[in-house]
Amino acid sequence: MSAQAAGKRPAELRFLDPAVLARLGTLELKARAVVEGLLSGLHRSPYKGFSVEFAEYRQYLPGDDLSTIDWKVYARTDRHYVKKFEEETNVNCHLLLDVSASMGYGSQGLTKLEYGGLLASSLAFLMHRQRDAVGLTTFDDAIVTMVPPSARPSHLRSILVTLDQMTLGHKTDVSKPLHLMADGIGKRGLVVLISDLLDEPDRVVDGLRHFRFRGSEVIVFHLIDPAELTFPFERAARFRDIELGDEVMAVPSVVRQEYLDALQAAVDRYKRELGSEGIDYRLIDTSTPLDFALVSYLSTRGRRR
Amino acid sequence: MPAFLSPLFLIGVAAAAIPIAIHLFYRRTEPVIDFAAMRYLRRAPVEHSRRRRLRELVLLALRVTALVLLALAFARPYFSDAVAAGSAPATMVLIDTSASLSAPGRFEEARARARQAIQGAPATHAIGLAAFAQASDVIAPVSQDRAGALAALAQVTPGAGATRYRAALQGAADAFKGRSGRIVVVTDLQQSGWDAASDSSIPQAIGVEVQDVGAPEANLGVMSLRVDGGDAVAVIQSFSSRAEADQVIFSVDDRRIGAVPLTLGPGATVEARVPLDGVASGALSATITDRDGYTADNVRYAVLDAADAVSLMAVTATGHPSEALYLERALAVAEGTRGFRFRPVSGTAFSALTPEALQQVGVIAVLGTRGIAQRGRERLAEFVRGGGGLLVAAGPDVDPAILKEALAGVVQTSWALRPATELTFAPDDSRHPVFRVFGGAGTLGHVGFARAVRITSPAAASVIARYSDGSPALVEERTTGGRVMVFGSDLNYRWNDFPLQPAFVPFIHETVRYLASPRASRTDYLVGELQAASAPGIVDLQGRRVAVNPDPRESDPTRMAAETFQAGISRLNAAAAQVAESRAQQQEDRQFLWWYGLLLMVVSLAAEGAIGRRLG
Repeated sequence: MSAQAAGKRPAELRFLDPAVLARLGTLELKARAVVEGLLSGLHRSPYKGFSVEFAEYRQYLPGDDLSTIDWKVYARTDRHYVKKFEEETNVNCHLLLDVSASMGYGSQGLTKLEYGGLLASSLAFLMHRQRDAVGLTTFDDAIVTMVPPSARPSHLRSILVTLDQMTLGHKTDVSKPLHLMADGIGKRGLVVLISDLLDEPDRVVDGLRHFRFRGSEVIVFHLIDPAELTFPFERAARFRDIELGDEVMAVPSVVRQEYLDALQAAVDRYKRELGSEGIDYRLIDTSTPLDFALVSYLSTRGRRR
Repeated sequence: MPAFLSPLFLIGVAAAAIPIAIHLFYRRTEPVIDFAAMRYLRRAPVEHSRRRRLRELVLLALRVTALVLLALAFARPYFSDAVAAGSAPATMVLIDTSASLSAPGRFEEARARARQAIQGAPATHAIGLAAFAQASDVIAPVSQDRAGALAALAQVTPGAGATRYRAALQGAADAFKGRSGRIVVVTDLQQSGWDAASDSSIPQAIGVEVQDVGAPEANLGVMSLRVDGGDAVAVIQSFSSRAEADQVIFSVDDRRIGAVPLTLGPGATVEARVPLDGVASGALSATITDRDGYTADNVRYAVLDAADAVSLMAVTATGHPSEALYLERALAVAEGTRGFRFRPVSGTAFSALTPEALQQVGVIAVLGTRGIAQRGRERLAEFVRGGGGLLVAAGPDVDPAILKEALAGVVQTSWALRPATELTFAPDDSRHPVFRVFGGAGTLGHVGFARAVRITSPAAASVIARYSDGSPALVEERTTGGRVMVFGSDLNYRWNDFPLQPAFVPFIHETVRYLASPRASRTDYLVGELQAASAPGIVDLQGRRVAVNPDPRESDPTRMAAETFQAGISRLNAAAAQVAESRAQQQEDRQFLWWYGLLLMVVSLAAEGAIGRRLG
């Protein structure tokens, strides 16, 4: 569970700590810092080959734009080749961000919502850079805001503004909005769900299965706070549900193991059931750099190609 | 009603406010933590706030209970047999039915005054009626039923008991059961009725009023009747300021054997004597006529029967006859009126005996102490105090500590084991009744002892036989009741060969007869001493006839002034607080409630600990 995200966390300094990143200026600046840091690192990274600028060569044919002829190749081979740029296809990417009240929890200064917002903006920036059409939907127990996918240059700003202005919603109900959105996606695309998944696993899986039924690739980023991951509390305390407001009394030393077992069981279930549906599932500790999430996206995006 | 021996400790109940205050002011000590993943936490064994609050209340209740129980235990609670002090006040009419009321016209006067007291009692008072002589007998309990009290009064008759005011007042005061009110004593104010030895008392809230019924001016009484040298001898006393003439008629089994005319001067005492002419058994009586004085003291009885066989009870470890085999065989040799009744019992069975069962026993021989419980030890002391004889054979089955505890305050002689040594023994005083039959030490000198104990006796005790090393072998200690003898070895052929010697049988016979003599010779009892006999006469006491007569002191009509009587009541009142405290102490000791309080407190704390651990 956490081992993937936290335990085997690489120590490269190029990865920006999410808490540090949160102190940067605008969301666009933050997204740019993440994405460009990632892409510059990819040249040396083990993820080589996933370049978004990758191109191929083919022989010149009448009608091709003369500006695309690679004159250096002509000089070496005495033949006309044109440079074919990566991705002139358009993929509709849908970012689904959970803004329910439980996403407002953060034990180390950065809430899950803030982390999810950074992740969504970075993904949007990255997608936009690849000229994919990017859309954003925020939801709690219903759809809150919806920005349809578009590849227009000005569209990224709309998404970033929407992310910048989002506020916490109400109770988590992942299933209902997922079904609504699945019905609303006309064209097959890539769906990225960013949520803490504090809902009935059956309902979550059912909602995501709907996207798969419509032919979309799905990536799930399951955000979890470090305190939720390890339950580090010591003293007996009243734990108040930030969504419902009710309290339960617990002695951490007594309940810790059962809590961790329950969490592990839920994660295992998501892994198993989403994996069987061909859905990428990533458990993301909100204390880990965003790069891991972005690399996961690129991996899935590459597979689609 | 509940009461407390040390009520000041109840202040400690205020300590119960401490956990309550802590609960009220510091109950939310746990921090509140906002948390999102409650879905997984709820699957752990957590406690919801409402249930926790309920459990906190249970904890609080347990803590408060523990503190309250601790304070209550220290306050030494007990249940008093008194009813609530708030009950209606009462008037208890106490009518004298002693022998002194048997003079002509006296009791009718007493009954009339008692009737007036009942009818004239305040309307708010409940009414009770008790008759008294040597003790108080409530014949109409305190209630609002005045007609019932009057009906009961009509049935009361004078008896032959002696007047004992203190016991009577105490009994009447007990009948109040915590009420206030007054006692109306209808009596002849006989001076002999005050008994200084009594420790009874009445509460301050109960007043005492005296109704004097007067007394006859003259009385003749038969003060004693005995057999002396073949004659029946009666002692007649005059309690008159003038000369009186009468005659004493002697009878045996209602057959007149003689009459003696008498003339007595003022306050004179005269003996009347008639020969019995060889009559050796029967019920002897001496009767005078004395029409003006008390009727109850006009006749006195005595028993001419020869002494009965002595009853001996042998207390052994298990009660099996073999544990007292030689004693039983030795006693079985005697027959007839010189014979013995032998009964072996175990220590356990002895402890279960009632005092009445020991009435017919003349001597108890302790050959083993195993199984003698606390009640058995108390019986043993009561038996000696009551005139019974006790023979202790300090053999291997007798624990000196048990007997020392049992006879504390009665007997001071004690003993301890000593190394085995070959010893013999001889009388220290050959004139003692036990050794008189031997006429010297000759036959006793053959007894060989393999083991013996070392007896330590007080100066007042008599050493009547010694071992060959000079230490006491047989010690007698006389008490205010019966006689006690400690033999420094066993009587069942274990530490010595005494049972095999010819001297053993006469030694046992003489010792048992000697120990039994104070009790066995008593054939004369006073009215009130025997439960079975409430009137003068000859009665059967467990197989033998005894005479029951009025207390001679009751024949003296000397009166005291009402002021003197009231002064005696005042002294009772002064002592009442101390006595009440003493009685409360006894009640509390018997009930032992503080121990249950502490036990409950421990249970409360254990429950509190168990629940508290679950709360964290």
